[in-house]
Amino acid sequence: MTRWQRRQFTDYVAKALGVVATAFGLFWLAWILWTTVSKGLPALKWGLVTQMTPPPGADGGLLNAFVGSAVMCGLAVLIGTPIGIGAGTYLSEYARHTKLGAAIRFINDILLSAPSIVIGLFVYELMVRPMGHFSAWAGAVALAFIVLPVVVRTTDEMLQLVPTTMREAALALGVPQWKIIRQVLYRAALSGIVTGILLALARISGETAPVLFTALNNQYLTSSLNEPTANVPVVIFQYALSPYEFWHALAWAGAFVVTMLVLVLGLTSRWLIARGKMTNE
Amino acid sequence: MNNVDDPVDPLSVTAERASNGLLEAPAKIAAHNLNFYYGESRALKDIELVIKEKRVTALIGPSGCGKSTLLRIFNRMYAIYPKQRAEGQVLLDGENVLDARYPVNRLRTKVGMVFQKPVPFPMSIYDNVAYALRHYEKLTRRQMDERVEEALKSAALWREVKDKLSHSALGLSGGQQQRLCVARAVALKPEVLLLDEPTSALDPISTASIEQLIDDLKADYTVLIVTHNMQQAARVSEFTGFMFLGELIEFGVTSDIFTHPTNAKTEAYITGRFG
Repeated sequence: MTRWQRRQFTDYVAKALGVVATAFGLFWLAWILWTTVSKGLPALKWGLVTQMTPPPGADGGLLNAFVGSAVMCGLAVLIGTPIGIGAGTYLSEYARHTKLGAAIRFINDILLSAPSIVIGLFVYELMVRPMGHFSAWAGAVALAFIVLPVVVRTTDEMLQLVPTTMREAALALGVPQWKIIRQVLYRAALSGIVTGILLALARISGETAPVLFTALNNQYLTSSLNEPTANVPVVIFQYALSPYEFWHALAWAGAFVVTMLVLVLGLTSRWLIARGKMTNE
Repeated sequence: MNNVDDPVDPLSVTAERASNGLLEAPAKIAAHNLNFYYGESRALKDIELVIKEKRVTALIGPSGCGKSTLLRIFNRMYAIYPKQRAEGQVLLDGENVLDARYPVNRLRTKVGMVFQKPVPFPMSIYDNVAYALRHYEKLTRRQMDERVEEALKSAALWREVKDKLSHSALGLSGGQQQRLCVARAVALKPEVLLLDEPTSALDPISTASIEQLIDDLKADYTVLIVTHNMQQAARVSEFTGFMFLGELIEFGVTSDIFTHPTNAKTEAYITGRFG
Protein backbone atom coordinates (compact mmCIF):
# COMPACT_ATOMS: atom_id res chain seq x y z
CA MET A 1 0.00 0.00 0.00
CA THR A 2 1.39 3.37 -0.88
CA ARG A 3 1.43 6.12 1.67
CA TRP A 4 -1.31 7.92 -0.20
CA GLN A 5 -3.55 4.85 -0.16
CA ARG A 6 -2.88 4.37 3.53
CA ARG A 7 -3.96 7.93 4.22
CA GLN A 8 -7.08 7.45 2.14
CA PHE A 9 -7.87 4.31 4.05
CA THR A 10 -7.35 6.00 7.43
CA ASP A 11 -9.58 8.82 6.31
CA TYR A 12 -12.24 6.37 5.23
CA VAL A 13 -12.13 4.47 8.53
CA ALA A 14 -12.29 7.69 10.57
CA LYS A 15 -15.27 8.89 8.58
CA ALA A 16 -17.05 5.56 8.94
CA LEU A 17 -16.48 5.53 12.71
CA GLY A 18 -17.82 9.05 12.94
CA VAL A 19 -20.97 8.11 11.04
CA VAL A 20 -21.48 4.99 13.20
CA ALA A 21 -21.04 6.99 16.41
CA THR A 22 -23.53 9.62 15.25
CA ALA A 23 -26.03 6.97 14.19
CA PHE A 24 -25.62 5.19 17.52
CA GLY A 25 -26.37 8.36 19.45
CA LEU A 26 -29.29 9.34 17.25
CA PHE A 27 -30.75 5.85 17.41
CA TRP A 28 -31.34 6.01 21.15
CA LEU A 29 -32.62 9.55 20.96
CA ALA A 30 -35.08 8.54 18.24
CA TRP A 31 -36.15 5.54 20.27
CA ILE A 32 -36.77 7.65 23.37
CA LEU A 33 -38.76 10.15 21.34
CA TRP A 34 -40.71 7.42 19.61
CA THR A 35 -41.61 5.70 22.90
CA THR A 36 -42.67 9.01 24.43
CA VAL A 37 -44.80 9.91 21.44
CA SER A 38 -46.33 6.47 20.87
CA LYS A 39 -47.25 5.99 24.52
CA GLY A 40 -47.91 9.62 25.40
CA LEU A 41 -49.98 10.71 22.44
CA PRO A 42 -52.80 8.16 22.95
CA ALA A 43 -52.89 9.10 26.63
CA LEU A 44 -53.58 12.76 25.88
CA LYS A 45 -57.10 13.84 26.76
CA TRP A 46 -58.88 17.00 27.70
CA GLY A 47 -59.22 15.87 31.32
CA LEU A 48 -55.46 16.15 31.66
CA VAL A 49 -55.70 19.90 32.20
CA THR A 50 -59.07 20.01 34.00
CA GLN A 51 -58.77 17.25 36.60
CA MET A 52 -56.50 16.61 39.58
CA THR A 53 -54.24 13.63 39.92
CA PRO A 54 -56.53 10.76 40.86
CA PRO A 55 -56.35 8.32 43.75
CA PRO A 56 -56.09 4.66 42.79
CA GLY A 57 -59.16 3.52 40.94
CA ALA A 58 -60.54 6.92 39.95
CA ASP A 59 -60.20 8.91 36.74
CA GLY A 60 -58.19 12.10 36.72
CA GLY A 61 -55.70 14.40 35.07
CA LEU A 62 -52.53 16.29 35.85
CA LEU A 63 -53.85 19.80 36.47
CA ASN A 64 -52.31 20.19 39.93
CA ALA A 65 -48.98 18.87 38.66
CA PHE A 66 -48.91 21.22 35.68
CA VAL A 67 -49.79 24.22 37.83
CA GLY A 68 -47.30 23.26 40.53
CA SER A 69 -44.50 22.77 38.00
CA ALA A 70 -45.30 26.03 36.26
CA VAL A 71 -45.32 27.94 39.55
CA MET A 72 -42.06 26.45 40.79
CA CYS A 73 -40.26 26.75 37.46
CA GLY A 74 -41.48 30.32 37.12
CA LEU A 75 -40.32 31.22 40.61
CA ALA A 76 -36.99 29.49 40.01
CA VAL A 77 -36.40 31.56 36.87
CA LEU A 78 -37.47 34.71 38.72
CA ILE A 79 -34.98 33.99 41.50
CA GLY A 80 -32.14 32.63 39.39
CA THR A 81 -32.20 35.04 36.45
CA PRO A 82 -31.45 38.40 38.12
CA ILE A 83 -28.70 36.91 40.25
CA GLY A 84 -27.32 35.02 37.26
CA ILE A 85 -27.34 38.04 34.98
CA GLY A 86 -25.71 40.13 37.69
CA ALA A 87 -22.96 37.59 38.26
CA GLY A 88 -22.45 37.01 34.53
CA THR A 89 -22.16 40.75 33.99
CA TYR A 90 -19.60 41.02 36.76
CA LEU A 91 -17.55 38.22 35.22
CA SER A 92 -17.63 39.65 31.72
CA GLU A 93 -17.40 43.37 32.36
CA TYR A 94 -15.51 43.77 35.61
CA ALA A 95 -13.52 40.58 36.18
CA ARG A 96 -12.80 39.34 32.68
CA HIS A 97 -9.07 38.81 32.92
CA THR A 98 -8.74 38.64 36.69
CA LYS A 99 -7.79 35.65 38.83
CA LEU A 100 -10.95 36.11 40.89
CA GLY A 101 -13.02 35.96 37.72
CA ALA A 102 -11.31 32.77 36.60
CA ALA A 103 -11.93 31.21 40.03
CA ILE A 104 -15.61 32.17 39.98
CA ARG A 105 -16.00 30.78 36.47
CA PHE A 106 -14.44 27.51 37.59
CA ILE A 107 -16.74 27.21 40.61
CA ASN A 108 -19.73 28.12 38.48
CA ASP A 109 -18.84 25.32 36.07
CA ILE A 110 -18.79 22.89 38.99
CA LEU A 111 -22.22 24.09 40.06
CA LEU A 112 -23.33 23.72 36.45
CA SER A 113 -22.52 20.02 36.49
CA ALA A 114 -23.47 19.33 40.10
CA PRO A 115 -25.73 16.27 40.40
CA SER A 116 -29.26 17.57 40.86
CA ILE A 117 -29.89 15.12 43.70
CA VAL A 118 -27.15 16.85 45.68
CA ILE A 119 -28.89 20.15 45.11
CA GLY A 120 -32.17 18.56 46.25
CA LEU A 121 -30.61 17.26 49.46
CA PHE A 122 -28.88 20.58 50.07
CA VAL A 123 -32.12 22.55 49.84
CA TYR A 124 -33.81 19.88 51.97
CA GLU A 125 -31.31 20.65 54.73
CA LEU A 126 -31.42 24.37 54.02
CA MET A 127 -35.17 24.90 53.94
CA VAL A 128 -37.35 21.80 54.36
CA ARG A 129 -35.88 20.68 57.70
CA PRO A 130 -35.85 24.11 59.36
CA MET A 131 -39.36 24.87 58.09
CA GLY A 132 -40.62 21.44 59.04
CA HIS A 133 -42.49 20.74 55.81
CA PHE A 134 -42.11 20.46 52.07
CA SER A 135 -43.07 23.53 50.08
CA ALA A 136 -43.19 25.15 46.65
CA TRP A 137 -40.68 27.72 47.92
CA ALA A 138 -38.15 25.01 48.67
CA GLY A 139 -38.79 23.45 45.25
CA ALA A 140 -38.34 26.79 43.53
CA VAL A 141 -35.09 27.49 45.39
CA ALA A 142 -33.71 24.06 44.49
CA LEU A 143 -34.55 24.66 40.83
CA ALA A 144 -33.10 28.17 41.03
CA PHE A 145 -29.76 26.60 41.98
CA ILE A 146 -29.89 24.81 38.63
CA VAL A 147 -30.96 27.92 36.72
CA LEU A 148 -28.27 30.11 38.27
CA PRO A 149 -25.07 28.63 36.77
CA VAL A 150 -26.65 28.30 33.33
CA VAL A 151 -27.63 31.98 33.30
CA VAL A 152 -24.25 33.06 34.72
CA ARG A 153 -22.43 31.16 32.02
CA THR A 154 -24.53 32.33 29.08
CA THR A 155 -24.63 35.95 30.24
CA ASP A 156 -20.86 35.95 30.67
CA GLU A 157 -20.26 34.37 27.26
CA MET A 158 -22.81 36.43 25.37
CA LEU A 159 -21.49 39.70 26.81
CA GLN A 160 -17.96 38.67 25.92
CA LEU A 161 -19.12 38.19 22.34
CA VAL A 162 -20.14 41.85 22.12
CA PRO A 163 -17.23 43.45 20.29
CA THR A 164 -14.86 45.61 22.32
CA THR A 165 -15.30 48.30 19.70
CA MET A 166 -18.90 48.76 20.82
CA ARG A 167 -17.81 49.29 24.43
CA GLU A 168 -15.17 51.77 23.27
CA ALA A 169 -17.64 53.61 21.04
CA ALA A 170 -20.05 53.96 23.95
CA LEU A 171 -17.37 54.92 26.48
CA ALA A 172 -16.04 57.50 24.02
CA LEU A 173 -19.36 59.33 24.42
CA GLY A 174 -18.57 59.92 28.06
CA VAL A 175 -21.39 57.73 29.33
CA PRO A 176 -20.61 55.82 32.53
CA GLN A 177 -19.93 52.10 32.28
CA TRP A 178 -22.94 50.88 34.26
CA LYS A 179 -25.26 52.74 31.93
CA ILE A 180 -23.53 51.35 28.88
CA ILE A 181 -23.87 47.82 30.21
CA ARG A 182 -27.58 48.30 30.80
CA GLN A 183 -28.49 50.24 27.69
CA VAL A 184 -26.07 49.05 25.03
CA LEU A 185 -24.43 45.77 25.95
CA TYR A 186 -27.54 44.03 27.30
CA ARG A 187 -29.34 45.02 24.16
CA ALA A 188 -26.57 43.65 21.97
CA ALA A 189 -26.46 40.39 23.93
CA LEU A 190 -30.19 40.10 24.54
CA SER A 191 -31.03 37.16 22.29
CA GLY A 192 -28.16 35.14 23.73
CA ILE A 193 -29.10 35.88 27.32
CA VAL A 194 -32.76 35.05 26.73
CA THR A 195 -31.65 31.83 25.07
CA GLY A 196 -29.73 30.91 28.20
CA ILE A 197 -32.80 31.51 30.35
CA LEU A 198 -34.95 29.38 28.04
CA LEU A 199 -32.43 26.55 28.11
CA ALA A 200 -32.34 26.75 31.90
CA LEU A 201 -36.13 26.60 31.94
CA ALA A 202 -36.03 23.56 29.66
CA ARG A 203 -33.53 21.91 31.94
CA ILE A 204 -35.52 22.42 35.17
CA SER A 205 -38.90 21.52 33.73
CA GLY A 206 -37.90 17.86 33.78
CA GLU A 207 -35.74 17.81 36.92
CA THR A 208 -37.05 15.30 39.45
CA ALA A 209 -34.55 14.93 42.25
CA PRO A 210 -34.52 18.60 43.38
CA VAL A 211 -38.32 18.76 43.67
CA LEU A 212 -38.66 15.27 45.13
CA PHE A 213 -36.71 16.37 48.19
CA THR A 214 -38.23 19.82 48.47
CA ALA A 215 -41.77 20.11 47.09
CA LEU A 216 -42.63 16.42 47.19
CA ASN A 217 -46.17 16.08 45.90
CA ASN A 218 -49.78 17.01 46.57
CA GLN A 219 -53.00 15.34 45.62
CA TYR A 220 -54.69 18.68 45.09
CA LEU A 221 -54.08 22.19 43.86
CA THR A 222 -52.78 24.45 46.56
CA SER A 223 -52.78 28.21 46.57
CA SER A 224 -50.10 28.39 49.24
CA LEU A 225 -46.42 28.34 48.38
CA ASN A 226 -45.76 26.93 51.85
CA GLU A 227 -47.40 23.58 51.25
CA PRO A 228 -46.16 20.46 49.52
CA THR A 229 -46.80 21.02 45.83
CA ALA A 230 -47.56 18.66 42.99
CA ASN A 231 -45.28 18.73 39.97
CA VAL A 232 -44.99 16.82 36.75
CA PRO A 233 -41.67 14.99 37.24
CA VAL A 234 -42.53 13.58 40.66
CA VAL A 235 -46.00 12.54 39.48
CA ILE A 236 -44.42 10.77 36.52
CA PHE A 237 -42.01 9.07 38.89
CA GLN A 238 -44.78 7.88 41.27
CA TYR A 239 -47.28 6.87 38.63
CA ALA A 240 -44.76 5.07 36.47
CA LEU A 241 -43.76 2.91 39.45
CA SER A 242 -47.37 2.13 40.36
CA PRO A 243 -49.16 -1.08 39.39
CA TYR A 244 -52.14 0.74 37.79
CA GLU A 245 -52.53 0.92 34.02
CA PHE A 246 -54.31 4.31 33.97
CA TRP A 247 -51.63 5.82 36.20
CA HIS A 248 -49.08 4.61 33.67
CA ALA A 249 -51.04 6.34 30.94
CA LEU A 250 -51.05 9.60 32.93
CA ALA A 251 -47.29 9.28 33.47
CA TRP A 252 -46.75 8.86 29.73
CA ALA A 253 -48.97 11.83 29.00
CA GLY A 254 -46.95 13.94 31.46
CA ALA A 255 -43.68 12.74 29.93
CA PHE A 256 -44.97 13.61 26.47
CA VAL A 257 -45.97 17.13 27.49
CA VAL A 258 -42.63 17.82 29.23
CA THR A 259 -40.68 16.49 26.25
CA MET A 260 -42.63 18.66 23.83
CA LEU A 261 -42.12 21.68 26.09
CA VAL A 262 -38.37 21.09 26.10
CA LEU A 263 -38.43 20.68 22.34
CA VAL A 264 -40.33 23.93 21.86
CA LEU A 265 -37.99 25.78 24.22
CA GLY A 266 -34.99 24.38 22.37
CA LEU A 267 -36.38 25.41 19.00
CA THR A 268 -37.28 28.87 20.28
CA SER A 269 -33.78 29.42 21.58
CA ARG A 270 -32.25 28.29 18.28
CA TRP A 271 -34.54 30.66 16.44
CA LEU A 272 -33.53 33.48 18.79
CA ILE A 273 -29.85 32.79 18.21
CA ALA A 274 -30.33 32.76 14.43
CA ARG A 275 -32.24 36.03 14.61
CA GLY A 276 -29.61 37.57 16.88
CA LYS A 277 -26.88 36.63 14.41
CA MET A 278 -28.75 38.25 11.58
CA THR A 279 -29.21 41.54 13.36
CA ASN A 280 -25.59 41.64 14.44
CA GLU A 281 -24.30 41.47 10.92
CA MET B 1 5.47 86.25 12.00
CA ASN B 2 6.77 85.75 15.48
CA ASN B 3 5.69 82.18 15.93
CA VAL B 4 7.69 80.93 12.98
CA ASP B 5 10.89 81.71 14.78
CA ASP B 6 9.55 80.76 18.14
CA PRO B 7 11.77 77.89 19.33
CA VAL B 8 9.04 76.12 21.34
CA ASP B 9 6.66 76.01 18.41
CA PRO B 10 7.18 72.62 16.79
CA LEU B 11 5.89 73.87 13.50
CA SER B 12 8.64 74.48 11.03
CA VAL B 13 7.24 76.20 8.04
CA THR B 14 8.35 78.81 5.61
CA ALA B 15 7.32 82.39 6.00
CA GLU B 16 5.26 82.36 2.81
CA ARG B 17 3.19 79.43 4.20
CA ALA B 18 2.67 81.18 7.46
CA SER B 19 1.34 84.21 5.67
CA ASN B 20 -1.85 82.46 4.57
CA GLY B 21 -3.08 82.54 8.14
CA LEU B 22 -2.94 78.87 8.95
CA LEU B 23 -0.62 79.34 11.86
CA GLU B 24 -2.56 82.13 13.46
CA ALA B 25 -5.24 79.76 14.70
CA PRO B 26 -4.95 79.33 18.45
CA ALA B 27 -3.74 76.01 19.86
CA LYS B 28 -6.51 73.66 21.01
CA ILE B 29 -4.45 70.73 22.19
CA ALA B 30 -0.81 70.68 23.15
CA ALA B 31 1.06 67.48 23.95
CA HIS B 32 4.22 67.97 25.89
CA ASN B 33 6.85 65.40 26.74
CA LEU B 34 4.28 62.70 26.11
CA ASN B 35 5.27 59.05 26.57
CA PHE B 36 3.04 56.01 26.37
CA TYR B 37 3.50 52.47 27.61
CA TYR B 38 1.82 49.16 26.88
CA GLY B 39 2.91 47.36 30.02
CA GLU B 40 6.69 47.63 29.84
CA SER B 41 7.00 48.52 26.22
CA ARG B 42 7.25 52.16 25.30
CA ALA B 43 5.00 52.93 22.36
CA LEU B 44 5.35 56.72 22.17
CA LYS B 45 8.53 58.65 22.73
CA ASP B 46 8.62 62.24 23.92
CA ILE B 47 5.85 63.52 21.68
CA GLU B 48 5.65 67.30 21.28
CA LEU B 49 2.64 68.39 19.33
CA VAL B 50 0.33 71.37 18.93
CA ILE B 51 -3.12 70.92 17.38
CA LYS B 52 -4.63 74.13 16.04
CA GLU B 53 -8.22 75.03 16.78
CA LYS B 54 -10.81 74.42 14.03
CA ARG B 55 -8.27 72.93 11.69
CA VAL B 56 -7.91 69.44 10.37
CA THR B 57 -4.74 67.73 11.48
CA ALA B 58 -3.74 64.37 10.02
CA LEU B 59 -1.42 61.80 11.55
CA ILE B 60 0.23 59.49 9.05
CA GLY B 61 2.81 56.76 9.28
CA PRO B 62 3.26 53.03 8.75
CA SER B 63 1.29 50.45 10.74
CA GLY B 64 2.37 50.21 14.34
CA CYS B 65 4.00 53.63 14.39
CA GLY B 66 1.79 54.79 17.25
CA LYS B 67 -0.59 57.14 15.47
CA SER B 68 -3.73 55.46 16.81
CA THR B 69 -2.11 55.13 20.20
CA LEU B 70 -1.51 58.86 20.22
CA LEU B 71 -5.07 59.59 19.16
CA ARG B 72 -6.48 57.42 21.93
CA ILE B 73 -4.61 59.44 24.53
CA PHE B 74 -6.55 62.60 23.74
CA ASN B 75 -9.80 61.20 25.12
CA ARG B 76 -8.09 58.84 27.56
CA MET B 77 -9.54 55.86 25.75
CA TYR B 78 -6.47 53.87 26.74
CA ALA B 79 -7.49 54.18 30.38
CA ILE B 80 -10.04 51.37 30.09
CA TYR B 81 -7.13 48.94 29.74
CA PRO B 82 -5.33 48.49 33.03
CA LYS B 83 -1.86 47.88 31.58
CA GLN B 84 -1.72 51.00 29.45
CA ARG B 85 -0.48 54.31 30.76
CA ALA B 86 0.49 57.73 29.49
CA GLU B 87 3.07 60.06 31.01
CA GLY B 88 3.60 63.72 30.31
CA GLN B 89 1.10 66.42 29.53
CA VAL B 90 -1.81 66.82 27.17
CA LEU B 91 -3.25 70.29 27.50
CA LEU B 92 -6.77 70.87 26.28
CA ASP B 93 -7.38 74.62 26.46
CA GLY B 94 -4.53 74.76 28.94
CA GLU B 95 -5.79 72.06 31.29
CA ASN B 96 -3.88 68.81 31.61
CA VAL B 97 -6.37 66.11 30.72
CA LEU B 98 -4.03 63.30 31.77
CA ASP B 99 -4.38 64.49 35.34
CA ALA B 100 -6.48 61.90 37.17
CA ARG B 101 -8.45 64.77 38.68
CA TYR B 102 -9.68 65.76 35.23
CA PRO B 103 -13.01 63.90 35.00
CA VAL B 104 -12.74 61.43 32.15
CA ASN B 105 -16.39 61.69 31.16
CA ARG B 106 -16.19 65.48 30.94
CA LEU B 107 -13.15 65.04 28.72
CA ARG B 108 -15.04 62.66 26.47
CA THR B 109 -17.94 65.05 26.02
CA LYS B 110 -15.44 67.66 24.85
CA VAL B 111 -13.40 65.26 22.74
CA GLY B 112 -15.55 62.99 20.59
CA MET B 113 -14.27 60.00 18.70
CA VAL B 114 -15.15 58.00 15.60
CA PHE B 115 -13.57 54.60 15.16
CA GLN B 116 -12.19 52.60 12.28
CA LYS B 117 -15.15 50.24 12.05
CA PRO B 118 -18.61 51.74 12.22
CA VAL B 119 -20.23 50.58 15.46
CA PRO B 120 -23.90 51.50 15.55
CA PHE B 121 -25.59 50.57 18.81
CA PRO B 122 -28.34 47.96 18.50
CA MET B 123 -31.15 50.51 18.68
CA SER B 124 -32.97 52.90 16.37
CA ILE B 125 -31.20 55.57 14.34
CA TYR B 126 -32.81 58.24 16.51
CA ASP B 127 -31.78 56.56 19.75
CA ASN B 128 -28.21 56.16 18.54
CA VAL B 129 -27.89 59.91 18.15
CA ALA B 130 -29.91 60.73 21.26
CA TYR B 131 -28.10 58.18 23.41
CA ALA B 132 -25.46 60.37 25.03
CA LEU B 133 -27.69 63.44 24.96
CA ARG B 134 -30.20 61.69 27.18
CA HIS B 135 -27.48 61.07 29.68
CA TYR B 136 -26.14 64.61 29.77
CA GLU B 137 -28.99 66.94 29.08
CA LYS B 138 -32.57 67.19 30.25
CA LEU B 139 -34.32 68.02 27.02
CA THR B 140 -37.96 68.13 26.08
CA ARG B 141 -39.12 65.84 23.35
CA ARG B 142 -39.05 68.70 20.87
CA GLN B 143 -35.61 69.95 21.85
CA MET B 144 -34.33 66.40 21.53
CA ASP B 145 -35.85 66.08 18.05
CA GLU B 146 -34.11 69.28 17.06
CA ARG B 147 -30.74 68.20 18.42
CA VAL B 148 -30.96 64.83 16.69
CA GLU B 149 -31.87 66.50 13.42
CA GLU B 150 -29.05 69.00 13.79
CA ALA B 151 -26.52 66.24 14.49
CA LEU B 152 -27.70 64.14 11.56
CA LYS B 153 -27.53 67.19 9.32
CA SER B 154 -24.00 68.02 10.32
CA ALA B 155 -23.07 64.41 9.60
CA ALA B 156 -24.70 64.73 6.14
CA LEU B 157 -27.05 61.87 6.90
CA TRP B 158 -30.33 63.65 7.55
CA ARG B 159 -31.73 63.45 4.04
CA GLU B 160 -31.16 59.72 3.83
CA VAL B 161 -32.65 58.76 7.18
CA LYS B 162 -35.22 61.40 8.06
CA ASP B 163 -38.12 59.10 7.13
CA LYS B 164 -36.83 56.10 9.01
CA LEU B 165 -35.51 57.47 12.27
CA SER B 166 -37.24 54.73 14.22
CA HIS B 167 -35.65 51.96 12.14
CA SER B 168 -32.78 49.95 13.50
CA ALA B 169 -29.40 51.52 12.83
CA LEU B 170 -28.09 48.08 11.96
CA GLY B 171 -29.95 48.26 8.66
CA LEU B 172 -27.88 51.17 7.34
CA SER B 173 -25.03 50.70 4.88
CA GLY B 174 -21.45 50.86 6.12
CA GLY B 175 -20.94 54.42 4.95
CA GLN B 176 -24.23 55.51 6.50
CA GLN B 177 -23.35 53.75 9.74
CA GLN B 178 -20.06 55.60 9.87
CA ARG B 179 -21.79 58.94 9.33
CA LEU B 180 -24.24 57.93 12.04
CA CYS B 181 -21.25 57.46 14.33
CA VAL B 182 -20.13 60.97 13.42
CA ALA B 183 -23.64 62.26 14.18
CA ARG B 184 -23.59 60.44 17.51
CA ALA B 185 -20.28 62.05 18.36
CA VAL B 186 -21.27 65.59 17.30
CA ALA B 187 -24.67 65.43 19.01
CA LEU B 188 -22.95 66.26 22.28
CA LYS B 189 -21.39 69.33 20.64
CA PRO B 190 -17.82 68.42 21.44
CA GLU B 191 -14.94 70.77 20.69
CA VAL B 192 -12.57 68.20 19.24
CA LEU B 193 -13.27 65.21 16.99
CA LEU B 194 -10.86 62.31 16.86
CA LEU B 195 -11.18 60.17 13.75
CA ASP B 196 -9.32 56.86 13.86
CA GLU B 197 -8.98 55.69 10.25
CA PRO B 198 -12.65 56.50 9.72
CA THR B 199 -12.78 55.39 6.09
CA SER B 200 -10.57 52.31 6.07
CA ALA B 201 -13.59 50.00 6.23
CA LEU B 202 -15.57 51.90 3.61
CA ASP B 203 -15.97 51.86 -0.15
CA PRO B 204 -14.66 54.78 -2.28
CA ILE B 205 -18.02 56.56 -2.54
CA SER B 206 -18.63 56.43 1.21
CA THR B 207 -15.04 57.54 1.71
CA ALA B 208 -15.62 60.57 -0.48
CA SER B 209 -18.70 61.51 1.51
CA ILE B 210 -16.84 61.20 4.81
CA GLU B 211 -14.00 63.34 3.44
CA GLN B 212 -16.47 65.97 2.31
CA LEU B 213 -17.97 65.79 5.77
CA ILE B 214 -14.59 66.35 7.43
CA ASP B 215 -14.21 69.47 5.35
CA ASP B 216 -17.58 70.75 6.60
CA LEU B 217 -16.89 69.81 10.20
CA LYS B 218 -13.82 71.97 10.59
CA ALA B 219 -15.98 75.07 10.67
CA ASP B 220 -17.10 74.03 14.16
CA TYR B 221 -14.67 71.41 15.36
CA THR B 222 -10.99 70.80 15.78
CA VAL B 223 -10.48 67.60 13.82
CA LEU B 224 -7.67 65.13 14.32
CA ILE B 225 -7.59 62.24 11.87
CA VAL B 226 -5.41 59.17 11.78
CA THR B 227 -5.08 57.68 8.34
CA HIS B 228 -2.82 55.24 6.57
CA ASN B 229 -3.89 56.76 3.30
CA MET B 230 -1.51 59.56 2.38
CA GLN B 231 -3.71 60.92 -0.38
CA GLN B 232 -6.48 61.24 2.15
CA ALA B 233 -4.23 63.17 4.51
CA ALA B 234 -3.24 65.46 1.64
CA ARG B 235 -6.87 65.97 0.64
CA VAL B 236 -8.47 66.67 3.99
CA SER B 237 -5.89 68.12 6.32
CA GLU B 238 -4.20 71.44 6.85
CA PHE B 239 -1.55 70.07 9.15
CA THR B 240 0.14 66.71 8.97
CA GLY B 241 2.32 64.83 11.39
CA PHE B 242 4.45 61.92 10.26
CA MET B 243 5.08 59.26 12.87
CA PHE B 244 7.54 56.42 12.84
CA LEU B 245 8.37 53.87 15.53
CA GLY B 246 6.64 55.84 18.26
CA GLU B 247 8.19 59.17 17.41
CA LEU B 248 6.70 62.22 15.79
CA ILE B 249 9.29 62.63 13.08
CA GLU B 250 7.97 65.70 11.39
CA PHE B 251 5.01 68.01 11.80
CA GLY B 252 3.92 70.91 9.68
CA VAL B 253 1.58 72.39 7.16
CA THR B 254 0.29 69.57 4.97
CA SER B 255 1.46 70.99 1.67
CA ASP B 256 4.95 71.44 3.07
CA ILE B 257 5.11 67.91 4.40
CA PHE B 258 4.07 66.53 1.06
CA THR B 259 6.08 68.81 -1.22
CA HIS B 260 9.30 69.47 0.63
CA PRO B 261 9.64 67.43 3.80
CA THR B 262 12.71 68.28 5.81
CA ASN B 263 13.27 64.80 7.21
CA ALA B 264 14.67 62.02 5.04
CA LYS B 265 12.36 59.42 6.61
CA THR B 266 9.30 61.50 5.90
CA GLU B 267 10.36 61.88 2.33
CA ALA B 268 11.00 58.17 2.00
CA TYR B 269 7.55 57.39 3.40
CA ILE B 270 5.54 59.83 1.34
CA THR B 271 7.33 58.85 -1.84
CA GLY B 272 6.38 55.26 -1.11
CA ARG B 273 9.78 53.81 -0.39
CA PHE B 274 8.52 52.09 2.77
CA GLY B 275 5.46 51.67 4.89
